[in-house]
Amino acid sequence: MKDFMLIFISEDYAALGLSPEEMQNRMGKWFAWNGKMQSQGIVKHGNALHANARLVTGADRTVSDRTATELKEIIGGYYVVQAKDMEEATQIAQDYPDYDLGGTVEIREIMVFDNE
Amino acid sequence: MNNQENHIIDHLFRHQHGKMVAILTRIFGLQHLETIEDAVQDTFVKAMMTWRNQLPENPEAWLTKAAKNRAVDLLRKIKLNTNKLEKVDSSYSKDYIEELFLEHHIEDSQLRMIFTACHPVLNPKDQIAFALKTIAGFSQNEIAAALLLKPETIKKRLQRARKTIKEKQIAFVLPPQEELVNRLQRVHEVLYLIFNEGWYSNHKEFLIRKELCGEAIRLKQILLRKETLRNGAGYALFALMCFHSARLSSRLDDNLEIISLKKQDRTKWFVPLIHLGNEAMKKSLSFNDYSIYHLEASIALEHLKSPSFDRTNWNEILRLYQQMYYLQKDELIALNIAMIYIIIYQFEQAKEWIEIVEVNSLEQRSYLYYGVKAEYFKNLNDIPQALQCLTEALDRTNNVVEKEFLLKKINRLR
Repeated sequence: MKDFMLIFISEDYAALGLSPEEMQNRMGKWFAWNGKMQSQGIVKHGNALHANARLVTGADRTVSDRTATELKEIIGGYYVVQAKDMEEATQIAQDYPDYDLGGTVEIREIMVFDNE
Repeated sequence: MNNQENHIIDHLFRHQHGKMVAILTRIFGLQHLETIEDAVQDTFVKAMMTWRNQLPENPEAWLTKAAKNRAVDLLRKIKLNTNKLEKVDSSYSKDYIEELFLEHHIEDSQLRMIFTACHPVLNPKDQIAFALKTIAGFSQNEIAAALLLKPETIKKRLQRARKTIKEKQIAFVLPPQEELVNRLQRVHEVLYLIFNEGWYSNHKEFLIRKELCGEAIRLKQILLRKETLRNGAGYALFALMCFHSARLSSRLDDNLEIISLKKQDRTKWFVPLIHLGNEAMKKSLSFNDYSIYHLEASIALEHLKSPSFDRTNWNEILRLYQQMYYLQKDELIALNIAMIYIIIYQFEQAKEWIEIVEVNSLEQRSYLYYGVKAEYFKNLNDIPQALQCLTEALDRTNNVVEKEFLLKKINRLR
């Protein structure tokens, strides 16, 4: 088994103008997905991220702040899941609820270092 | 981490949204409505993100707490934005905010919002859009889908409503005693329109439109909880909404195709709503006022009481419709009267009533006129004319479900 990080990239929810009802339904889908993965024991952990970001860049360590409104796409959250290979991780990503909002799931295998 | 037992009650977000907007408006005033709506929106985005993996034990309490925090944030923000000369009310204290989140104050705030949405200075079309947005928590797109209009049109109506409210400096209060009867009447009209939009939904947006019925009922319930806002018309309106809603799910089949009253499965009618309607109907008669809603509710009840289409007391229904027409010269009522005369085989009278109907004033419902006329000709065994009317009806509706219904009729006649 390997670990994969599923990174969720989409427009900021706040900018999409979803209605309360739509938000509740969407949350239900996330909840169901999480529950499914929990019961299969494949999700290790995961988090949702605040939309606002601070960037520290370059040798001068230049600091800049970015609000979600400036960006078309943000990383909204991630899960770390266990899967046999990339194909299986792709299968897991099928249930991501926000494809209809133009969302993307980036799947990255987590590197394991040989410590011997 | 995950507890499947936990689940959120239906429409919690939508209803909480309406409550929060109302309370915050009570605190900060209608002039800050947009800021308030944005802030409430934020709260829900946050809830959605936070609850994804783990629901709080008491979602409602979580939201209320979040809203209180938002109120305190907003207080700071609004104070900052307000011109120093403009005095910010010092009663905006934390205790005051706490107080307004008590249940009876929440309802009071919601009532104020309902009366604001139905304020006579607002354009009637804007009233509906504004009510759905502000009280019922529909998004622009949802309102557009529910009212079969373009989102752009809804946007304009909402903007116009907000602008009017600001310009006319409408206060966020309940109407004074001397205006109450008239203002309440307008509220009833708006709720009735919202309900009907949902009730006549026979198309792909059925789900969202069906919720219009639910919202109208919920708002009418809020009004009835306040003693000073009870009257005969109010209870009768509530009764009629219950009676109609009881039949809602039997009106369309699994493919969202219309089932005519004749073929509806009467065992599917939702009995608890019929009881609720009956209770309201009884109460409506204990007041002095009498309204068109009384009549419409009585008609709906006649249908519900009857064990089958054929055993319906058509004469009683006819009498009620005629009284309705006497109170309000409405084309749809006239059309219904014509239809009943057809059902009871009195074709001469049916013809007279069909002739009364001004087809053009029915606008997007003019296909109903041709539908009734087709029935008339069919009963007289004039199949060519019946077919012609059905074709005419077909041309006059864009509604896919309605079209299919008419096509089936045409094919049966051929």
